[in-house]
Amino acid sequence: MSEDQDYGGQGGGPQIPDIKLPQLKGGMVRIIVLAVVALIVVTTSFYTIDPEETGMVLRFGEYVRATDPGLHFKIPFGVEKVIKVPIQRQLKEEFGFRTLRAGVNSQYTTKGYSGESNMLTGDLNAAVVEWVVQFRIVDPYKYLFQVRNVNETFRDMSEAIMRKVVGDRTVNEVLTVGRAEVALQVQNDLQDLCNQYETGIKVEQVVLQDVNPPDPVKPSFNAVNEAQQEKEKLINQAQSEYNREIPKAQGAALQTIQEAEGYSMDRVNRAEGDASLFNSIYKSYRKAPDVTRKRIYLETMTEILPRMKGKIVVDDELQGVLPLLNLNAPAAKGGK
Amino acid sequence: MNIRLNIIIPVIVVALVLMNSFYVVQEQHQVIVTQFGKPVGDPVLTPGLNIKIPFIQKVHRFEKRFLEWDGDPNQLPTRDKRFIWVDTYARWRISDPLLYFQRLQNERGAQTRLDDILDGEIRNAIAKYDVVEVVRTSNRQAQRAENEIEDEVILVDIVSGREVIRQEVLRNAQTRTGDLGIEILDMEIKRINYVAEVQRKVYERMIAERQRIADRFRSEGQGQAFRIRGEKDRELLRIRSEAYRKAQEIKGTADAEATDIYAAAYNRSPDTQSFYEFLKTMESYKLIMDEESSLVMSTNTDIYRFLKGSDQR
Repeated sequence: MSEDQDYGGQGGGPQIPDIKLPQLKGGMVRIIVLAVVALIVVTTSFYTIDPEETGMVLRFGEYVRATDPGLHFKIPFGVEKVIKVPIQRQLKEEFGFRTLRAGVNSQYTTKGYSGESNMLTGDLNAAVVEWVVQFRIVDPYKYLFQVRNVNETFRDMSEAIMRKVVGDRTVNEVLTVGRAEVALQVQNDLQDLCNQYETGIKVEQVVLQDVNPPDPVKPSFNAVNEAQQEKEKLINQAQSEYNREIPKAQGAALQTIQEAEGYSMDRVNRAEGDASLFNSIYKSYRKAPDVTRKRIYLETMTEILPRMKGKIVVDDELQGVLPLLNLNAPAAKGGK
Repeated sequence: MNIRLNIIIPVIVVALVLMNSFYVVQEQHQVIVTQFGKPVGDPVLTPGLNIKIPFIQKVHRFEKRFLEWDGDPNQLPTRDKRFIWVDTYARWRISDPLLYFQRLQNERGAQTRLDDILDGEIRNAIAKYDVVEVVRTSNRQAQRAENEIEDEVILVDIVSGREVIRQEVLRNAQTRTGDLGIEILDMEIKRINYVAEVQRKVYERMIAERQRIADRFRSEGQGQAFRIRGEKDRELLRIRSEAYRKAQEIKGTADAEATDIYAAAYNRSPDTQSFYEFLKTMESYKLIMDEESSLVMSTNTDIYRFLKGSDQR
């Protein structure tokens, strides 16, 4: 514990230059003393404030004014002192890791900071949460004079709030869906606490970095992810089979129906053709039925009889010829 | 030489007296002035330059700001017999510098007393509650991911919760610091963690839980795949059978129509019937009589009867 109180003396009053017993001649002494005094006046009278800062001027320890960036004058000899506070700069605190080297390829380390990032979730699981709080000093007076070790306090507050918020959520929420909500909730609660403590700090943003299950549990979380992928894969495979076969079957079904329709048209057209053919022939036939009938008969016979190899004409008045014929092999004989 | 000393020594003495007559109260400080150990007047709270009797009165400075107290992480048992590491911090301030000066002397004394008070109260509070009460603040319902399984979330409801425990510790501690000239502004639980042994078991449980979820996903995937295949088979059968039915219907209708058309043509009168029979038979002969066929015909037939003479009637 640092002893911030100093008893007695010091007082911060004007520091009178300690005049040693001079060994030099009187005139020289006077010049040197004057020169030293003048130097002290000049160096303790002027100060500069950088663009991102504000200067808090204290006279005998009492805050008297704030000064903007630029060159300023103050009462010398330590009567007025200046504390510079970077109110325009965005400051940040890292939890669970530290940036070793910032740049295009920033390097980080998490070693030794696991105490900051290990926490319990509402379902009594463990999670490793790394985060960053970005903040600005908006009230330099409060920042300097309300809380001792503001930064340390601010870190403690951030850790407490993060654990409170994570403690009310399941490990799944913290790892996946609830990330943004956690960050927002922490930001709001932290701001409330900052106001309560009068730290003069405005929390600009809370950013969750890596949020992981603890290392020993990580593989099983990955296994869940893999199983989920596998599930998707199985479903997709089945779905693609479905998509491959069903449209094909639908096409085939259409083909079957089209064919049936083709058959239908074929059948009807043929029937109509046959019918109209018959009707035409019949109309002519009616004009001379006997002759037509005979003509058709004879034409048919003329067409079919030449084709046949086995033809036997039997006189209807002769009996007994028929049994002599070898009807089994008429073609083999080749005779007429 | 002597003249010089005659001047310099009084100057130094005057300077020392002057320096000891003034004191500065810093913005972050409060001051008590004592005279031979006895406090004089009220504590000085406003910053600035003040006067005191040199050498006789002594100035004691105390912080006016909120001060930190950072508890050592303690291994504490909860009511459900689980050991957890609890790391806390508190903010406090010197509310009565005189009392503070009398009772605690300085900040080291204050920190030691705060250790006693807060550690004790925290231990008491933790021992009264289950671990989940220390972790959770509210009975907030968990937000689920889309693909999350219903029984994946095991959230035990709490009766009191972290905030209540915190308030309780704070209240109890505050009553014990009243006569010390300090005021505890708040106490927060900074970190809670399982002790190594419990942690291992928790990890094992988490792993088992994840495996269960992974198995569930896999079996769900398989189940869904089966369902989709079943749907596919059903669809295939439906599509094919519907097509068959429709085709048969179309064909049936066509056949019926054709039959009607034939009937309309051939069935008009006995004469058309017999003519149709004749024509069709003739046509059939053309098709069924080929070179393999043998025919025995009588000269009595229409085609051969003239073989026996030209005058057959």
